[in-house]
Amino acid sequence: MSNPTDLKFLIVDDFSTMRRIVRGLLKEMGCNNADEAEDGAVALNMLKASKYDFVVSDINMPNMNGFDLLKAVKAEDSLKHIPVLMVTAEARKEDIVLAAQSGAAGYIVKPFTKATLEEKVQKILQKLAATA
Amino acid sequence: MKMEDIAALKPSEPLLVAPEVFQQLGSITRLLHDTMQQLGVMPKLQVAADGLPDARSRLNYIASKTADAANKVLNSVDQAKADHAAISDATRRIAALIVADPVKAVASGAVMNFVQDVEESTARIDTHLTDIMMAQDFHDLTGQVVAKVVTLANDLEDSLVKLLVQVVPPEHREKVDANVLHGPVVDAAGRTDIVTNQGEVDDLLASLGF
Repeated sequence: MSNPTDLKFLIVDDFSTMRRIVRGLLKEMGCNNADEAEDGAVALNMLKASKYDFVVSDINMPNMNGFDLLKAVKAEDSLKHIPVLMVTAEARKEDIVLAAQSGAAGYIVKPFTKATLEEKVQKILQKLAATA
Repeated sequence: MKMEDIAALKPSEPLLVAPEVFQQLGSITRLLHDTMQQLGVMPKLQVAADGLPDARSRLNYIASKTADAANKVLNSVDQAKADHAAISDATRRIAALIVADPVKAVASGAVMNFVQDVEESTARIDTHLTDIMMAQDFHDLTGQVVAKVVTLANDLEDSLVKLLVQVVPPEHREKVDANVLHGPVVDAAGRTDIVTNQGEVDDLLASLGF
């Protein structure tokens, strides 16, 4: 599972622009298999309906925010193995700690660079491969 | 409350209330009215409240302009990248032809076709770059609108803070959280509860065992 080009990503963000940017960056990393969801509730339904290998999620979203999505994913036996990378404008330390305690695989603050996203995705995949 | 509602509240029997009570109520009302006027709360609050629908439309305008600009830029980038990829492919093909048989590559017209393709592609890329540059006009347009909304928000905040100071019991005042609005940190100066870059995020996560 260490090669991101073989993975299916789910990008969760209420701003279509940001979903498009993340999708574009993943594409430049060779990851062409990605779907998008506009909030946590939609994402959770998609995760239950189809197989995904990696979730990149915002935090502040309507209906279901990123924290609730993260907790829901980690509470579901069939989903808890999926790494969730938080990509958000929330820069408060308590949010970062809460994300880590809730089971996030990584945390990126916006604005971010392609190099940061690539590094975090690779790091998460290497960690998963090592523990598999 | 309307006058007819007040009339409906009129009891069938006359109330036996001492005139001093009405006098005291009148004094309290006058005191409250004068205090609010002196604080300048009511007129400023009224002006700020009147401006809220306008602020909503201004914020919608900003959302619309920024979304349009972002989509325009992303579309142009997609198209420019496609043209760039086409040039790269064509360059590799012509290089292979020249290496294999330089005379044939020129004689067959492949070199000239390549030159023409590159010229057309670069012209299209130049157009896309210009479109990207032009899409940045949202910054100027929305910047002016943002300044007006900020002024309105400041007025509203001033009025509400004055009002809060008057009505909130002293023991509850420190519960008022000025940082209740989440989202991007627009001013990190003097704050210790936030991170300011990805390095600090990584350090914090490392301290948690990540």
